[in-house]
Amino acid sequence: MRKIWAVIRREFVERIRSKWFWFSALLGPVFFGAMIVVPVLFAGAGGTRRIAVVDATTGAFGERVAAGLRHGKIFRATRVPAGAGVVDSLTQLVGAKQLDGFLILTDAVVETGTAEYRASNVSSFRDVAELQDVLARLAMAARLERQGVDPALVGRAQLRISLETKKISGSTTTGESAAQSFALAYVMGVVLFLVITIYGVNVMGSVVEEKTTRIVEVLVSSLRPFQLMMGKVLGVGAVSLFQFVLWGLGAKLLLSQRRALLADLGGVEEARQVFQMPHLTAATLGVFLSYFLGGFFLYSAMYAAVGAMSSNEQEARQAQQPVMFLLLVAYVSMFGLTNNPESTYAVTLSLIPFTAPIAMPVRWAASTVPAGELGASLGLLAAGIVAVTWMAARIYRVGILMTGKRPNIKELVRWIRAG
Amino acid sequence: MSSAVLVLDRVTKRFAGHTAVDGLSLSVPRGVIYGLLGPNGAGKTTTIRMIMDIIEPDEGSVRLFGEPGTGREHSARVGYLPEERGLYRKMRVLDLIVFLAEMKGVERRRAGAQAAAWLERLGLGAWRWRRVDELSKGMQQKVQFISTILHQPELVVLDEPFAGLDPVNTQVMKDAVLELRRDGVTILFSTHIMEQAEKLCDQLCIIARGRKLVDGAVADIKRTQTGHHLVIGFDGAPGAAAQLFADKRVVRKLDDYGQYAELELAPDADPQRLLAALVSSGARLARFELSEPSLHKIFIDLVGPEAATPEARPHPGGPRA
Ligand SMILES: Nc1ncnc2c1ncn2[C@@H]1O[C@H](COP(=O)(O)OP(=O)(O)OP(=O)(O)O)[C@@H](O)[C@H]1O
Ligand SMILES: [Mg+2]
Repeated sequence: MRKIWAVIRREFVERIRSKWFWFSALLGPVFFGAMIVVPVLFAGAGGTRRIAVVDATTGAFGERVAAGLRHGKIFRATRVPAGAGVVDSLTQLVGAKQLDGFLILTDAVVETGTAEYRASNVSSFRDVAELQDVLARLAMAARLERQGVDPALVGRAQLRISLETKKISGSTTTGESAAQSFALAYVMGVVLFLVITIYGVNVMGSVVEEKTTRIVEVLVSSLRPFQLMMGKVLGVGAVSLFQFVLWGLGAKLLLSQRRALLADLGGVEEARQVFQMPHLTAATLGVFLSYFLGGFFLYSAMYAAVGAMSSNEQEARQAQQPVMFLLLVAYVSMFGLTNNPESTYAVTLSLIPFTAPIAMPVRWAASTVPAGELGASLGLLAAGIVAVTWMAARIYRVGILMTGKRPNIKELVRWIRAG
Repeated sequence: MSSAVLVLDRVTKRFAGHTAVDGLSLSVPRGVIYGLLGPNGAGKTTTIRMIMDIIEPDEGSVRLFGEPGTGREHSARVGYLPEERGLYRKMRVLDLIVFLAEMKGVERRRAGAQAAAWLERLGLGAWRWRRVDELSKGMQQKVQFISTILHQPELVVLDEPFAGLDPVNTQVMKDAVLELRRDGVTILFSTHIMEQAEKLCDQLCIIARGRKLVDGAVADIKRTQTGHHLVIGFDGAPGAAAQLFADKRVVRKLDDYGQYAELELAPDADPQRLLAALVSSGARLARFELSEPSLHKIFIDLVGPEAATPEARPHPGGPRA
């Protein structure tokens, strides 16, 4: 036992000492921060728009529109009375980037509901939605007033709908929006894929190193190959958990500063709302960690076996492709899993031990997974780990002492049977 | 039997239809330097790996210290230097030695102190915080040797300990081995370099193609394996030497150069009679020397040219472990 402990410690300490570990520990949160901030930046691109409201109406409607737009957060609107050459000179201002655009209002707005917006950028849904909203509201008010309805009553009757989405998880309603569920599922999937692969490959590299340096002979003469393999897997696993702790702390720090950060980046109020911290419950965290550990054990056992059957790093990189492929199946299905978490395909993926480590957490974050399914998936994963580790240990045992040609499938089967 | 540190009893190991070690029995008494000799592919490394419990014999048994238990269970009492050297390249020297000592069950703190002392002693004190791959090959050999013996084993198993060493380091290694024996440690080492074995070994075992050819104390082997060995130098006239040497009842083997001849007498032939016969036939002798056969000669005689290279194997490939 003390020997396994020494193997675990060696794997842990040597990795923690490497520059790469700290590099990725620091870079992780920055990377995911960027994944979050960049879309926000795009959403908030341009910030406020300076526009003119060319008023050709006969009443006070133009003034009201300008005021209504100013009330919102997107436009800084100035009313310009219509006249000869006004449109031309405004067009020139837009061309000189003194102005973002202008809105032309005639009485037709109230009569038929048509107006014209000319601007350097008319593809922003946000801008157009805001213009339409303000115009529709004010035009309706003007029409009602013309029919003799009390303006105060109109004001009270008009209701702006803001649709809030909340996900139902189990039978409790969470404060989570659709975008947040999706983002959470997506981020979890990416992190699981990356970390399982990276640390699985770490285990493989460590096995190959011991094999190529033949130091494995000394080790195996003092502890059983299975103990050595377990020590290795546990040691690298401990590093990955430590990595998560660091990432968690880093992410927390970034999020606590996000208001300040986004302000620096020039984000507007809407932009800040686009991305709020997804609702990370204890249950979600538990599911995430269980599947991470399960996936890590499953895959690192396979990676250890791959390392043992290869005689150098290059060979190992080739031999690991089938293992990588297994994990990729779930990864590339991620969009399908989030869009349609209840489909037969999604359920199947989340039950198969090789795909479950990514598929189940993604489904969990995107929808509500019945407890029975979660239990079945975890049970199958545990059984898968036992079976795969058993086989991997046998391949490992024979493989680490082998030199020369990589075994073919037939020989592998013989190794497993002979172990 | 109780004094034997290591006993192999009819140990056999087969790889894919090819027998690497075939019914090998040997016994290593306590406190000796024991040589395992054999040509390339004889099965020395395979035998050592079975002793170390790295691979299991298909038949037969390995018994260490006269006690039950596998090599792995006794690993704290055995030091092992594998044939192919290698260390964790990225680890720091001291950490590495401590780790390998921990594998042998040495407590961490004690391992650290002893490793530092050993490094100091072999002139590597300043290197203890360096990474292994910054060391020269000779230094790495020293580091590996330290980790072989740091846990003060009773039995040290060295597979080709002198391979790839320069003359200075060969000397260092020889001194280390002799010093270990002075401390009462039993040493088993494999080699195919006979001169070294002859100088170092108290006992040895010669194997070829996985089979034992002879074993025992070096002096006994020399006495029993060959008859008298003669070196004869002529001073001009060889007399009737040619006829005398041709007598198979007297001379078993002959290497005649005309003015110089090396011969091996038949076991019951008397060298004095041959001398008298030569002189009376008119031969003038410059030299007539009875010598001990070299281990090298015994080895060649025993192994034979055909056994000096391993049999080509019909099915190369994976082992049937
Ligand atoms: N893992 C293995 N798989 C298949 N054959 C093996 C294996 N290990 C050794 N052999 C074969 O067993 C025979 C004995 O090999 P071994 O390494 O024991 O010889 P050796 O006496 O140590 O030779 P050398 O002096 O060259 O080191 C050789 O023919 C070798 O090819
Ligand atoms: Mg060998």
